[in-house]
Amino acid sequence: MDPEIGNFETEMNRGFLQILVLALLKKEMYGYAMVRTIRDMGYEVEENTLYPLLRRLEKNGWVTSKWDVGEDRPRKFYAITDRGRSLRSGLLGIWKKQDDILKRIMKER
Amino acid sequence: MSEKLEAYLEDISHFLSGRAEREEILSEIRSHILEKAEQEYGGVDDASLDKVIAAYGPARRVAEKYLDGSPIVAPAYKRYLARYTALLFAFHSLLTVFAVVFKKNFVLFPFLFMPNLGVGEALMYLPTAFLADLGLVFLVLYFITQSKKDIKLPWPKFAVDLDEVKPPKRAVWNILGFVAMLAVTDFALYLFYKHHTIFFLNLDFTAPRLLLTPEAGRRISLIVIAMLAVGTAGLFAKIFTSSRWVDAVSNTISLALIGLLLRQPIDNAFAVAIPERLLPKIKFGLTFALLFIAVMVALDLIKNLVAIGRKRLARQ
Repeated sequence: MDPEIGNFETEMNRGFLQILVLALLKKEMYGYAMVRTIRDMGYEVEENTLYPLLRRLEKNGWVTSKWDVGEDRPRKFYAITDRGRSLRSGLLGIWKKQDDILKRIMKER
Repeated sequence: MSEKLEAYLEDISHFLSGRAEREEILSEIRSHILEKAEQEYGGVDDASLDKVIAAYGPARRVAEKYLDGSPIVAPAYKRYLARYTALLFAFHSLLTVFAVVFKKNFVLFPFLFMPNLGVGEALMYLPTAFLADLGLVFLVLYFITQSKKDIKLPWPKFAVDLDEVKPPKRAVWNILGFVAMLAVTDFALYLFYKHHTIFFLNLDFTAPRLLLTPEAGRRISLIVIAMLAVGTAGLFAKIFTSSRWVDAVSNTISLALIGLLLRQPIDNAFAVAIPERLLPKIKFGLTFALLFIAVMVALDLIKNLVAIGRKRLARQ
């Protein structure tokens, strides 16, 4: 990939990753499962970016977490809160608006 | 458990030190790395962990992503760091010259303490003073940044704004200046070699009448020759480089030499009889002239330090 596009992609990902994570948390998930799910959809996410983001979302009350130590390996599961759902719907609304604007502009040209 | 994984987590822990949730963060990273090694590389062993750790990223970068990204000094205030430090240091340098000349302490608690210093001690004191000034300005900007208020700091322009600082002179003028200064310095050296002084009452160098006593004449002549030599060396260096560091160093040494000159006792320095009532006036006149030169050199030093600071900031 063109390194210039790579730089822009990193900037765009900052916002996109937040929406992506909130959208993924329709059901409880742990970090590695999120990485795999995103990758299976053809998108790469830096693992070391995902966990700090989850921590920030949790700190602000948009997600909650709990450790599951029942299986062979402890895993930290994340779930979206009511506040998180409200944030997700707001962010998706913004994203849709931005997408519509871009589509209209591209169609006009 | 792999030693490599624990060493990696220990490195991350080092860069996270001070964070309450450190153990929680490390547990989560450990869980992720072990699961990935097992799921994607068929098991947890040194080879698979090496790959997973490498993909996860260097320990410092990983830790930094958890740290608050707010700057220590806001970008809007960064430019003040160089300018304010330059101004403060120039003021500090000037006071150092006064402290050396008047043999007094200056205290402006808790910002400034200028002990009574000799010239050599003053030269050693100045780098420490610079670091203290830089630290003080940094601290002020740090508190302003942390206050999160939009404080508009003054941007001093009194004769030190870079826009008013003329660009370095062209090489041809430097060469002419260097040749002239070299001639003057050489002539002074020649006179000093022949007569052990450069101060005379007449221009007949075959039968000169000395203005100063041999001891005072020798001391003061040496300081003046050193000042001429510094100027000459500066002009020589400017033929090859336009760096303002040359001017700044030249200014600093000149200030120190002026300080040394101001400390010379002149009560019994004259080889000719000076009327008693005239002596205080001569002393005042000489001190005033030297202090005026010191202020001019200090202002030039400020200009050069500001120019250096601005250039460095522009490069960032």
